[in-house]
Amino acid sequence: MVDYAQVSMKLEKLRPPKLVGKRPARGSRDDRHAQTKVAFFRYGYYDIAFKYFVEQVLDAEFVTLPPATRRTLELGSRHSNDFVCAPFKHILGDYLEALELGADVLVQFTGPCRLGYYGEVQESILRDLGYDFRMLNFAVVGGKPATEYIKLCKRTVNPRVSLKRGVGELVTTFRLIECLDSYHDAYLAHAGFAVDPEEPRRLQRAFYRTMRAATCRADVEAAFAAGLDALESMPARKPVDPVRVGIVGEYFTAVDPHSNLGVEEKLLGMGVEVARMLNITNRNLRYHEKNLRASASRYLRYDMGPTSTLTIAAAKKYAEEGFDGIIHLKSSGCTPEIDCMPVLQRISRDYGIPVLYLSFDSQTSDTGLDTRLEAFYDMISLRKAAPTASQLATKGTSR
Amino acid sequence: MKDAYLGLDTGSISTKGVVIDADGTIVARSYLWTEGNPTEAAQRVVRELEQALDHTVYQVRAVGTTGSARRLVGAMLGAVVVKNEITAHAVGTTRLHPDVRTILEIGGQDSKIICVDGGIAVDYAMNTLCAAGTGSFLSSQAHRLGLEVEQFGEIALSSEHPANIAARCTVFAESDLVHKIQMGYAREDIVAGLCKAVAANYLNNVGKGKRIVAPVVFQGGVSKNAGVVRAFEDALGIPVLVDADGHLMGAYGAALLAADSPVIPKRPFSFDVGSFEFKTREVECAKCANHCEVICVYQDGTIIDSWGNRCEKGAVKVSSR
Repeated sequence: MVDYAQVSMKLEKLRPPKLVGKRPARGSRDDRHAQTKVAFFRYGYYDIAFKYFVEQVLDAEFVTLPPATRRTLELGSRHSNDFVCAPFKHILGDYLEALELGADVLVQFTGPCRLGYYGEVQESILRDLGYDFRMLNFAVVGGKPATEYIKLCKRTVNPRVSLKRGVGELVTTFRLIECLDSYHDAYLAHAGFAVDPEEPRRLQRAFYRTMRAATCRADVEAAFAAGLDALESMPARKPVDPVRVGIVGEYFTAVDPHSNLGVEEKLLGMGVEVARMLNITNRNLRYHEKNLRASASRYLRYDMGPTSTLTIAAAKKYAEEGFDGIIHLKSSGCTPEIDCMPVLQRISRDYGIPVLYLSFDSQTSDTGLDTRLEAFYDMISLRKAAPTASQLATKGTSR
Repeated sequence: MKDAYLGLDTGSISTKGVVIDADGTIVARSYLWTEGNPTEAAQRVVRELEQALDHTVYQVRAVGTTGSARRLVGAMLGAVVVKNEITAHAVGTTRLHPDVRTILEIGGQDSKIICVDGGIAVDYAMNTLCAAGTGSFLSSQAHRLGLEVEQFGEIALSSEHPANIAARCTVFAESDLVHKIQMGYAREDIVAGLCKAVAANYLNNVGKGKRIVAPVVFQGGVSKNAGVVRAFEDALGIPVLVDADGHLMGAYGAALLAADSPVIPKRPFSFDVGSFEFKTREVECAKCANHCEVICVYQDGTIIDSWGNRCEKGAVKVSSR
């Protein structure tokens, strides 16, 4: 009996049998979440900046989209309302292709026109199609303090976003955009006159390649300096007084070559110096609506819409600088830009500068566009060769 | 032997051709319906010009083409100049009317306005999305009324109270027209109303914001319609000039441009293109997702030109002539 009692005492002292193995050591906190795949829509050359923002600021994986094709727009148009502005269709097509490539998060901006509603509507269209994703829609925090933006990014993309690093890299992203825009300004000014017509595009591709590889501010600055240097030292035959055309218009269509069927390249191919004030640098980073409006106070008394002030102020600037023509690009039915057209007509009369108005929808044939551009070029170049009496009389064109 | 130049304007509805001498005088002219077949129409026009031309005096040195089928017809005829219709019209009209300030042009499917100052085009506009107020609208409405579009002018001029027909859009104009027919409006008032609607639509869309200054020249197929001419004069309050050769101005401009061209072919133009067989084939390029539609033009089975590709991948090798 005594023995038995001793045994039972022993058993009680033993540890209960282990049911699970030893827990592995905790990894560092950064590895606890799978990297999110983030996709933007296509927008000219800004994919380089979007990539930098996603990788360096949000510390996530960027989904690189291949160049847009006819299929992109077909996809976008199929799932859009026919009357919605063309950028909506382009962007929806981009999103569908991004989701096919495995994107987890789609990014949409906000804006003071229909753009402000794009994100919400596109999200619900894509959900109705059965896609599973998260939407980083800046429209939901539009106008709110920066802390709300940070919270949204943490919640949607990466809870481990480092504020300290993020702010610094965001500043670099802005600098990157400025570099891209000023490179493009130089490109538009020089590319039409290269001795070897293929060279500008070759240089541009090389520049974008190095910019895309940049991972810090120093990389950005070095790539920019080298790219600009290569472009400016390219052998060119530029006349003293070349035909010059200024581009104005709507935020998306006037900037994105896929949306405007490559108007800029077509003009450069004709040997034209092109200028476009509208870009992210001038519309967002350095935008001061009141000051800009004051520069065209004769034509503008209040802020008319997202890019209206910039469109009109830029047109006036081109007219004053003696440009030979202005081209206004917008998506079909873009109300704010339609409102600008009567003002542009007045600038055209006041300064004696022709304005070509072009609207784009989901068309892919550029035959009609070529006819109009070719006729516009013929007209302004002939006009330049023989200035008329009334043209000399207008102050804007006397040089 | 005198040098001559041929200009061909192949539009959606009609094809026009002229031969001019070195001084810019028209020595042969032809005007035919395109009937949906631009290559055949161009060949017929060339044959007509061949018959009309005095071959003992003139030899055609070079060809210029314009109109919406300019590229295709240009490839067929080996044109030295392939120019858009806006420039061609401006060049042609300013030669015949050096003092012109405004050119109104209404064709089968498009309409344009060209503002001229000192003999040089300084501004232009072209209709964009809508075919309202063009020749094809008038002919479809003529069909509805059981009339020939050629009769329109005369009938319209006999009206004293043109009906008001909504001019903003073809769809609205058409339903308004049906309504007015059923209400019992006189036929001449409806026809005159249609002419007024075309002029109003043109001035509100194409002419919007443009300063229309005299002398005004009105061209294109629709300028042959006296009803529209009167509607323009009423709306503008200034006389509107219509040239007997107004419908040929695009072809005339193309011929002038060909005469001015620095490239002059070694061999003179032979009129035998009328007897070749031209075929076009549309090929969908499968080398990327753009699926460009490449148009290939064949002359008697040999490929002579191709276009439509957006990049080098879709380029087609073309045998030189």
